[in-house]
Amino acid sequence: MKLTIRRGGGLAGMVAQTELDDRSLPKTDAEAFAGEVARANLHEQPEPAAAKPWPDAQLYEILLEAAGPPISVHYTDETLPESVRLLVAWVDGRPERVESIEQ
Amino acid sequence: MSRNHRRAQCGIAPPDLLGRLAVEGDAQQREAAVRALATSAAIRSQRAVMGRLNRQLNLNLGQMIGFTVNPDRRLTIYDNQTNGRTFLPGVRVRDWGQPPVQDEAVNQAYDGSSATYEFYRDVFARNSLDGAGLELVSSVHYGVAFDNAFWDGAQMVYGDGSGRIFQVGGLTRSLDVIAHELTHGITELTAGLVYSKQSGALNESFSDVFGSLVKQYSLKQSAADADWLIGEGILVPALGKALRSMINPGTAYSGDRQPGHMDDYVDLPDNNDPRNDNGGVHINSGIPNHAFALAANALGGFAWEKVGKIWYTVLTTRLRPNSQFDEAAQATVDVAGTLFSATEQDAVHNAWKEVGVLS
Ligand SMILES: [Zn+2]
Repeated sequence: MKLTIRRGGGLAGMVAQTELDDRSLPKTDAEAFAGEVARANLHEQPEPAAAKPWPDAQLYEILLEAAGPPISVHYTDETLPESVRLLVAWVDGRPERVESIEQ
Repeated sequence: MSRNHRRAQCGIAPPDLLGRLAVEGDAQQREAAVRALATSAAIRSQRAVMGRLNRQLNLNLGQMIGFTVNPDRRLTIYDNQTNGRTFLPGVRVRDWGQPPVQDEAVNQAYDGSSATYEFYRDVFARNSLDGAGLELVSSVHYGVAFDNAFWDGAQMVYGDGSGRIFQVGGLTRSLDVIAHELTHGITELTAGLVYSKQSGALNESFSDVFGSLVKQYSLKQSAADADWLIGEGILVPALGKALRSMINPGTAYSGDRQPGHMDDYVDLPDNNDPRNDNGGVHINSGIPNHAFALAANALGGFAWEKVGKIWYTVLTTRLRPNSQFDEAAQATVDVAGTLFSATEQDAVHNAWKEVGVLS
C-alpha cells in the first residue's frame, strides 16, 4: 500500500509531494498505517467547498494505491476532514516518508 | 441576578441554534438569526461560527460583523494549540492593549497585525479591514508543523512551519506575509476579486503589493531601497531567499514559476489539482506585481504615497469580482490621472506596457 500526498497552492504556491509505502515500515507500524488510512475514509466525498475559497488555502491531492483501483481525493485546508488531517500528520511524522518539491 | 441581567442572558440563543436557523430558516428567520448572531456578545469570540456562516450563506463579512465593532478591541490573538480547522480560532492568548507574552509567534502576529492596521489607518485613512473598525483576529500554531498561512474569510491563520518548506516559526516572522493575509480581508470586503485565474492573480497581487508596502512603510524605505521580496528569509535556505520577487518575478526560489510579462503567462485550469493553484493565482500574480514595482521605481520616493494610493483606490472603488488584468491596468491609469498628474499617469501606463498588459 502506498499513500501519496500532494500539496499545492497555499501562501507559497509551491507543490510538494510526500510518499509513504507500507513496505518501508516495520510490521506493527504498517498495521498502524493501515488503521490510519482506514480511519481517514478516503472513499467518502469531502464536504463541498464554499462559494468563495479561502485565499492561500492549500490544495491537497491524496492518492491511495492498494489492492484494487487507486483512489484519488482532493481537498483544501477548508474541506480537509479531521480524520484526513490526522492521517497527513501521521505520515509527516514518519521518518520513512519520501518527500520532494516539484519544480 | 438582576432582572435585566437575566433577560440579557435569555436573549442570547446558543450560536449553533441561531446558526441552524440562519441556514435553514425562512427569509425572515434567517435575517433575524444573522442579526442576533452578529450583535450577540457571545459571538464576538465565536469566529468559527461566523466563518461557517460566511461560507454557508455566502454573506458579506461586513454585513455580518459590521455590528460587532468594539473600539476597545482592535486585534486579538488566539492559540490553535496545533489543532486544526475544527478548533478555530482556539484559545485567546493576547488581547488588544495587553503586554507581550512568552510565546514569540503570538507577539509577532500581534505586532504585525498592529503595524498593518496602522498602515491602512495612517496612509489611507482606513479603519481596519472593513473601514469600520473590524477586530483583527489571528490564530497561531495552527495544525502540526503546518506549512502555510491563510485568510479563512473571517480571520488570519498561521502554521508553525515544518522546517522542510518554511522555517520553523517563519510564517509569523515576516511583516509582509501578515499584511498579505490581512489584505485578503480588504479585497474580500471591497473588490471581491474571485480567487481563480486572472481575477485570482489580481487578488494575490494586491496582497503582495500592500504586504510589501506595509514593510516599506515600517522601514521608511523608498522604492529604490526596497527589496521588493515577499517573505524574505522565511523559507528553508536550501529552497531560496523568498516566496516572490516583485521586481524580478521568477527569481525568488529555485522552481519559482512566476512570469514578469504577459508573453510568459501560465494558463492553468482551475480544477482543484494542487499543481494548478486555482488557475495559477500565485504564479501569474508576478505580472501585476512587476507592473507595480516598475511604476514605483519610475516615480521614486515612498511607493505608498503615489503608486500605492492609486492601487488602493482601484482595489477599493474600481474593480469587480471578475476584473481581469487589462481592466485593472486601465483603472490604475485612469485613477493616476484623477489623483495626480500626467507624470504619474505615464509612469503607470508605461509599467503596464512593459509587462505586456497594455499597449
Ligand atoms: Zn495570498
